Amino acid sequence: MKRVLITGLGMISPLGADKASSFAGALQARSAIRPAPPSIAERLPQVLVAPAAAEPDQLLDKKFGGLDRATQFALVAAQEAMLDAGIAAPPDDAARFGVFAGIGFGGAHTMDKLYARHFEAVHASGQGSRSPTVLHPLSVPRMMSNAPAAAVSMHYGLRGASNTYCVACASSAVAIGEALRAIRHGYLDAAIVLGTEAMLTPGTLMAWNALRVMAKPDPVDASRSCRPFALHRSGFVLGEGAAALVLESEARAHQRQARVLAELSGYGCSSDAEHLTAPTVLGQVAAMRQALEEAQLAPQDVQYLNAHGTATDAGDVTETQSIHAVWGASARQLAVSSTKALHGHLIGAGGAMEFALSVMAMNSGSLPPTAHLDQPDPRCDLDFIPLQARHGCDVRAVMSNSFAFGGSNASLIARRPAP
Amino acid sequence: MLENIIKDYLINMAEVDPEKFKQPGLTVADLQLDSLGLLEMLFEVEDKYGFQIPEPMRFLSMSFAEMVADIEASVRAHHNGQMPALDAAQAGG
Repeated sequence: MKRVLITGLGMISPLGADKASSFAGALQARSAIRPAPPSIAERLPQVLVAPAAAEPDQLLDKKFGGLDRATQFALVAAQEAMLDAGIAAPPDDAARFGVFAGIGFGGAHTMDKLYARHFEAVHASGQGSRSPTVLHPLSVPRMMSNAPAAAVSMHYGLRGASNTYCVACASSAVAIGEALRAIRHGYLDAAIVLGTEAMLTPGTLMAWNALRVMAKPDPVDASRSCRPFALHRSGFVLGEGAAALVLESEARAHQRQARVLAELSGYGCSSDAEHLTAPTVLGQVAAMRQALEEAQLAPQDVQYLNAHGTATDAGDVTETQSIHAVWGASARQLAVSSTKALHGHLIGAGGAMEFALSVMAMNSGSLPPTAHLDQPDPRCDLDFIPLQARHGCDVRAVMSNSFAFGGSNASLIARRPAP
Repeated sequence: MLENIIKDYLINMAEVDPEKFKQPGLTVADLQLDSLGLLEMLFEVEDKYGFQIPEPMRFLSMSFAEMVADIEASVRAHHNGQMPALDAAQAGG
């Protein structure tokens, strides 16, 4: 079985316009959560958001200006990851270099604008002669879910498989895992994995609001409204952004003497087959155990876990029980945190972003905290690194969990590369 | 006016060489737009005048001047024979 190495990371997130500032924000417990802008707050005054720290079109060539925001985020993250990996485009082995993307909703901004334009024209009838059917001809290729993968494949001339995984909150964790399998089993030698999401639009937020899973604003400080594992949690906050990882077979990375960040050593995925939105211990445990088995690690070999930790009652309690089930008596020795308290829930981008943060935590020895965890829920009885980052830790392996609506579970493990 | 809207789009957004527009018999094919590029160019007009231009691929066999005249005829057909004045925001492209 071929070993797969991580040689590049990139990120644009609510915490920062690149990976260094995003990770620094997570360590400093600097929350990016805030009230929604007027276009959304007008009808949904309670809704909170975690917008990206920078406008993606400002970081890209102007030829990308018309693309959907989710595609722009993916291009920004890919730009940093490819530079970080020191890979020139197009690579000589372009046919063996793939693109794996995860996205939950697709081009939400393009779709929202399309309907807004249509209905504005419908309601303006009689005052002008604009047809409500005149829409931008590239609306479809901009909003299709595989637009980010297509843009990155074309921009870097990557001719291997370019596949997109739409698995709600687990999308980009699954994309990472499937890229791992493609390289491990010899279908590819390298891949860039993208997780991206941009759906802070009025239409999408109305839909989320109807589901009653969104955090209520903290009356004193809105930035403290998302409180995973806390007694007075009230739900999550939607964020936006992207993360990108460059994966290579050990042989390819060694041949070009690439700097290795970590080994991507385990992936597990499972389905609850129970409920549309409620998680199960059985499914989560299956995903974590598969990942450990593939990585050939015992649970005690993992020192940090970035939890899915959405700050919903069902989600936090179930994940705590699942961790207990896998780690057994050593569960309380494991350091666990949910960084969603700070950057919100990036849905399709969440898996890649949180896994990338976990790799950075391993390499730096600094573990990001679970912010705003002043009063833990007694049912959530693990070491959740409350309030403040923990530094100087000896971390040899990390896990990141992503559990999706629809009952899809994904767990990923990275470990320090062999010397 | 219409010709300038199209030319401005082609030069500023589609990266067509401005020198091309000095050629007397410039054809649409000379612009080297692919089918999506042609649709994006037409959308500049459709967006401003509020209707969809039919059968876009027929323009590929026309001269640039013929295409502009044809589009102008379509605009007039949708606006009682007139070329509607565009407000500043629309005219700004």
